[in-house]
Amino acid sequence: MSEFFEVVRYREVLWNLVRRNLKVRYKNSVLGFAWSLLNPLMQIAVWYFVFKILLGRDEPNFMALLVTGFLPWLFFSQTVLDSTGCVTQEMALVKKAYFPRTILPLSALVSNLIHLGFAFIVLLGLFAAWRVDLTIHYLWVIPATLLVALFAYGLSAMLAAWSVFYADVKFIVSNLLGLWFFLTPVLYPLHHVLSGRIKTPDNWLEIFINEHLVALKKLFMLDPLTIAVEAYRSALLYGGENPIKVQIVPTMTKLEQAQALGMQEALRAEYPLTPYIVGAALIAVVTALVGQWVFQRKADYFAEQG
Amino acid sequence: MSVIEANDLWKLYRRPHVKARSVKEAMLQFLRGQRGYEEFYALQSVSFRVEPGEAVGIVGANGSGKSTMLGILARVLLPTRGSVRVDGRVCPLLELGTGFHPDLTGRENVFLNASLLGLGNRETADRYADIVDFAELHDFMDAPVKTYSTGMVVRLGFSVAVHMEPDVLLIDEVLGVGDEHFQHKSYQRLREFKLAGKTLFVVSHSLPAITRVCDRAIWLDRGRIVRDGDAQQVVAEYKAAVADWERSLAEAGARDAPGS
Repeated sequence: MSEFFEVVRYREVLWNLVRRNLKVRYKNSVLGFAWSLLNPLMQIAVWYFVFKILLGRDEPNFMALLVTGFLPWLFFSQTVLDSTGCVTQEMALVKKAYFPRTILPLSALVSNLIHLGFAFIVLLGLFAAWRVDLTIHYLWVIPATLLVALFAYGLSAMLAAWSVFYADVKFIVSNLLGLWFFLTPVLYPLHHVLSGRIKTPDNWLEIFINEHLVALKKLFMLDPLTIAVEAYRSALLYGGENPIKVQIVPTMTKLEQAQALGMQEALRAEYPLTPYIVGAALIAVVTALVGQWVFQRKADYFAEQG
Repeated sequence: MSVIEANDLWKLYRRPHVKARSVKEAMLQFLRGQRGYEEFYALQSVSFRVEPGEAVGIVGANGSGKSTMLGILARVLLPTRGSVRVDGRVCPLLELGTGFHPDLTGRENVFLNASLLGLGNRETADRYADIVDFAELHDFMDAPVKTYSTGMVVRLGFSVAVHMEPDVLLIDEVLGVGDEHFQHKSYQRLREFKLAGKTLFVVSHSLPAITRVCDRAIWLDRGRIVRDGDAQQVVAEYKAAVADWERSLAEAGARDAPGS
């Protein structure tokens, strides 16, 4: 608690560090700050090329699904990625001057929140181009963002502290984030995982997955990122509706359409949203608290590290 | 009323042994119950008080605990045992523009650095003109710090620190920076500091710098206080001890030398 008041007392350091982070990220680049918007746009252009053109995915609104899902993911992954350097890059100062160390991971979080804000403006621009209507449901992105922010903060505080003592942390983090990206429904719709199973399991891992399918799917739904990505979609694209949606395309026969709707109803009944949202929120809060606890315990010894 | 009060300070460090080169070795070490480190005290039962307006120099060989002591006073290190009380704002004098970001301008760095040392942006704005004046960098404040020469960076860093108006200024090996002219200004500034009743704490291997600035000196040897008293006297004793030690080394060397 005392750390909280210290952070308040040193809040101007936080703003100054955030300003510095924003200025320095795209140093020496001609386009400068525009990159925080161009980066996600270019990533999405790559996906457009791969999925729409090479693989011929033809779900309606496919690009809109990608873009909305990508925003919270980008915020999360960038925050966690930045965390491994947020203390180690300031070691010279940490060894000499006292300031509440919590400022360091916090400034990484706030910088990335601001980037998210800018990306959001671009998204609204895209929506205007696609003639998507603005609705009151858009406000749901606020609690969804808070959910990711808490979760990301907890993980980054923990990782920031550990990476002072073990350089291995940053390599592990970047690889695990690569895996986590595919475990989050950004590139595919939620129901693919919820209704899926491995058809011909032929090694121990695939057999293990099939045996524990129910538990694993529940875990997947409890991931704060799954919830946040789907909350973004629900808020921005589905007008606040249940995001477990099976696409109905006009080329389907009547029977196929009925089957798809039946599957959607079954999945919605099997995975009621409220308990999963509450569960994910709990996970995020606990992660944030544990992360802060670990960070503060380690912070006393940062300056002793060579 | 003393401004610094250190009571029975101990600081335990763990010095790692030869690092385990592989996971297997680390496991074996663990299973054999070996600890991968040895423990040593960088400070042992160090106690002292400092009154306002005093300038205290710390002398001692490498590894005698000087920087550890400064770290504890700056609140970046926790003492293993004992307690320290410092009244008022402590400000470390950062060497070579520590915490300056090369891509930010001089102005931006001043504000960032001052806030890290505990000064609000508005207070920094009030002192900004003085800081620039003292560093004599008027024409460069809007250029990125990476375009500065080493001397310019040092001057700006020094200027920020002395304009923080701390109650205790901690100086670790950063006296005598800059050219002759800037050195004169720095020493002048430190004298004004003392006269204003502020406290200086100086760690340096430069004994002339210590006797020039400090009126009191503490001599540390392997974490223990050997002498604490008048700066001239303690420095003289320390010099004599080093000379003695070097003579005994030379004699031992002469004895062991081949052909003798």
